[in-house]
Amino acid sequence: MRIKSLFFSLLLLFSMAEVVLAQGNVTLNGYVKDIENGEELIGVTVYVNELKTGTITNVYGFYSLTLPAGSYNITFSYIGYQTTVKTVDLTANQSLNLELPPEVVRMDEVVINEKPLDANVTEVKMSRNELNVKQIKKLPALFGEPDIIKTIQLLPGVISAGEGTSSFFVRGGSADQNLILIDEAPIYDPSHLFGLFSVFNADVIKDAELYKGGIPSRFGGRLSSILDVRTKDGNNKKLQGSAGIGLLASRVSLEGPIKKDKSSFIVSARRSYVDLFLRAANQDNLVHFYDLNAKINWRANNKNRFFVAAYSGRDVLDFDDLFGFDWGNTTFTFRWNHLFNDRLFSNTSLIASRFDYGLDSEDEVQGFEWTSNLEEVSLKEDITYFINPRNELDFGYHVTWRRFSPGRIAPTVEGSIFQETELERTFALDHALYVGNQQRVNDRLSLKYGVRLSIFQNVGKSDLIIYEDPQDNINIVRTDTISFGAFENIKTYVNLEPRLSARYLLNPSSSLKFSYNRMVQNTHLISSGTVPVPFNTWQPSSPYLEPQIADQIAFGYFRNFKENQYEFSAEVYYKDMDNITDFADNADIFFNQDLPTEFRQGTSESYGLEMMLEKKEGAFTGFASYTLSRTERTVPGVNLSETFLANYDRRHSFNVVATYEHNDKWSFGSNFTYSSGRPITIPAGRYEFGENYNADLITVRNGFKLPAYHRLDLSATLTPRKNANRNWKTSWVFSVYNAYSRKNAFSLFTETVVPEDSEGNPDLGNVSNRARMIYLFPILPSVTYNVKF
Amino acid sequence: MKRISYFILLLVAIASCEETVLLDIDQTPVRIVIDGLVTNESKQHAVKVSRTVDFYQQGLTPRVEDAVVSVSDNEGNVFNYVHNPNNHPDSVGFYLSEFPFAGEVGRIYTLNVQADGQTYTALDSMFRVTSVDSLEITINEDERMDPEDEDRFYEILYYAEEPQDTKDFYLFQFFRNGELENEEGEQIYFADDRALGDRIDALPIPVFYALGDTAVVETFSLTRNGFLFYNDLFNNINNDGGMFSPPPANPRTNLTNGALGFFQVSAINRLTLVIEE
Repeated sequence: MRIKSLFFSLLLLFSMAEVVLAQGNVTLNGYVKDIENGEELIGVTVYVNELKTGTITNVYGFYSLTLPAGSYNITFSYIGYQTTVKTVDLTANQSLNLELPPEVVRMDEVVINEKPLDANVTEVKMSRNELNVKQIKKLPALFGEPDIIKTIQLLPGVISAGEGTSSFFVRGGSADQNLILIDEAPIYDPSHLFGLFSVFNADVIKDAELYKGGIPSRFGGRLSSILDVRTKDGNNKKLQGSAGIGLLASRVSLEGPIKKDKSSFIVSARRSYVDLFLRAANQDNLVHFYDLNAKINWRANNKNRFFVAAYSGRDVLDFDDLFGFDWGNTTFTFRWNHLFNDRLFSNTSLIASRFDYGLDSEDEVQGFEWTSNLEEVSLKEDITYFINPRNELDFGYHVTWRRFSPGRIAPTVEGSIFQETELERTFALDHALYVGNQQRVNDRLSLKYGVRLSIFQNVGKSDLIIYEDPQDNINIVRTDTISFGAFENIKTYVNLEPRLSARYLLNPSSSLKFSYNRMVQNTHLISSGTVPVPFNTWQPSSPYLEPQIADQIAFGYFRNFKENQYEFSAEVYYKDMDNITDFADNADIFFNQDLPTEFRQGTSESYGLEMMLEKKEGAFTGFASYTLSRTERTVPGVNLSETFLANYDRRHSFNVVATYEHNDKWSFGSNFTYSSGRPITIPAGRYEFGENYNADLITVRNGFKLPAYHRLDLSATLTPRKNANRNWKTSWVFSVYNAYSRKNAFSLFTETVVPEDSEGNPDLGNVSNRARMIYLFPILPSVTYNVKF
Repeated sequence: MKRISYFILLLVAIASCEETVLLDIDQTPVRIVIDGLVTNESKQHAVKVSRTVDFYQQGLTPRVEDAVVSVSDNEGNVFNYVHNPNNHPDSVGFYLSEFPFAGEVGRIYTLNVQADGQTYTALDSMFRVTSVDSLEITINEDERMDPEDEDRFYEILYYAEEPQDTKDFYLFQFFRNGELENEEGEQIYFADDRALGDRIDALPIPVFYALGDTAVVETFSLTRNGFLFYNDLFNNINNDGGMFSPPPANPRTNLTNGALGFFQVSAINRLTLVIEE
């Protein structure tokens, strides 16, 4: 077994290195958790006061520090928790597991004394945002459904396609260039109801992180960002439940110990119930969605921990009982955390993900069923080796198998005009080997460097069609078909992805950072609209589709004010993308047996300035962000091969998110968002064809800009005081979406109007064009009731 | 099946509002538009030559009256066209073939238009058209309960063979009492044969009729170029502005030299019937 032998030879290498490096040093390690529910805390600062050095807990809440033997005061600090100092006498390797108590809500601003480090300034990572799920729940939300993706859309460097969409665009990247992970399993379409909501149920989310640049070498596969969402492990101390009733959907979740302090579970469900109202109103067009999350977490001993997590969500639409339509994601994650020794931490994961959609018609004559899916299974081995306080090494191997089944049409009734037809399935094997080291060079300079080797194979079993001219989508001439057997190599792409981040501390409260990363994407979304829709399909890199490659550099200045209460950052970036996937004008991307003839690949360039000011602690918290950017695409064969602005180009974007804890009864939240208008294609003229068709004359792609988008949302959370004496605690969240009822353009289309003359006949002599703007939500109040028990 | 984005729009429509906005659109250079059709019916075939107008310009588009138009086939026959020979005021910009002729299946036809000192040409072939076995009249019960137009609840069922050995492309036109039904210039009925079986049985045509109405059902053969043109024209007319649908684009055409429009060559199958009990 290739993985195993690699794994063990590396292991051997490090156990030898250990002898050399570790003389006279001892290791302190352990897990840091929340005292109330046993949830592991990610990113806790562990600081050795005497040595002025430290580390942070990894994504599993684990830390490891190797120090000279001695007596130390170790400070554990984490936002939202009380800072705790522990004194340890280190003579031999030692484990120190710690449970941090949450911070009591303070009514007044309190200056924190014990705050030795602040991640904003000191960590090497840049172009990265953590989301505070607790805060998100207090923010105003559309129909009262808290949604992390809607908050992500407000971060600097991130752009949304408009309201009511779950797509986001990071630093000039298209919507499919974001790797969206739930417990490490990819989600291929994060939208419910075409984007009104995302698939993430805020009740089960523990932590979410967005990487826009300086992406660590353990991540790969997408050009522009990684959204790493982790669900809660479940309370391992006591049984606990929560439920929420909103206008559109309700949620319920239950968590608790299976065996106290050893193992726990969490299950959560959410379902929308618009369809129940519609049914009551005798409406035949029905629509609903649901999400199910479950996780079991077992701590066998201090050296072995196991997790099993699963997610399944689906949207189901029914039009008049005649036409049905559904889509959904299902993921499964098994993880095994193992400590080989005090400093060698391993995470082994088995991950599966499936995205599928189906359309069906019950019509007697046109009855058909159309299904499409994408399945993948991955095995990942990730190892962290805590060499010494100055070096933390990560390395690993990932392998993924993917099957793309873009479409199958089958008749559903006897006598249907359709016959069974299936598009060619494609398969891919995706290997990645990576290594990365975080090195503290001296008190001022820290580096994080690494490299990822991506070996991507388009493999059989499939038939490869050879075209006389693969770029000709009009006169398609197939010259040959080559058959490949199972796992037979069709095309291999090897890419080396260097990653580098550096931080230079100017003084304890400010730093400069730099990062460079190359990213490679071998899974391409086949979508030509601005916003992906659930019936888009994906395709692997192949002889007709080259890997997309992005190089990005970023510089940043990070500064904290007022005892780290305010965090400020300013970053500039430049991103150059090659082989970005686009499609010919008029491309037919649905059930096209000659899809490769529609592919057009080109280049894209994006650059910008991003600023963010954030306040994470105190009664008043929130952030303000501003982004100035420009994104262009140049694709041979599209827009007469001339450069055009990307759909997601926005010159300015400005957002404010704030919450205020007035007292223990009331808290308030608000969002404000402003962005320059979206570029769109508007016809320049009109012409006649046939009996009475009026066609649009198109000249330049994306040559027109919609009006600017801006919106204010407000919310208030009421936590009744009588809660204190009850076993179950209730709260009310009142939201107002679009408080000043701005008519924001969702989309703009043009149409030709044919008036009628006095006799009721079409008056072609007075035909005219007009532009119609669609806007979605006027002022929209909502209320959500939450119970915790 | 190409109209999936309609379903999204339907969903969006539940919560959305619409209003007319005035756009600041620059003037654009005028382009020539050519619209020609040759069928296998013996008649004076027509070619229309017109020009584009700016987005907000009202009324009929300007016609070109001094073009030189001819059609030739690959057997060496040349058919010259004459501008509006009957001097009909509604036919300005229309060129009719000097003499009636019938196109033949299997032949390739070339259109040649000279206008404004430029030459525009196009090539299209005449493919065979499937034979429509029969049409059947039925009553659509749903429509009878709640008819959109009073008394119009008769439906026509279409029966035809779909040859499996060839790639076939179709254009359909439905007439009610002589008038083309296409939802005021927004609907085009066209199809290719992907995923179709060898029989099309009892497929209801999308028009309702009343007793006594005369129905005409026309099936045209198209080349792949013709299919692509109508497909693109449909998307061009019904584009949502590029939100969910692809960015709007000019239809792919067989005309050279930057002309818009299409030169279509089709075999035609026409069935006429009067709606009776």
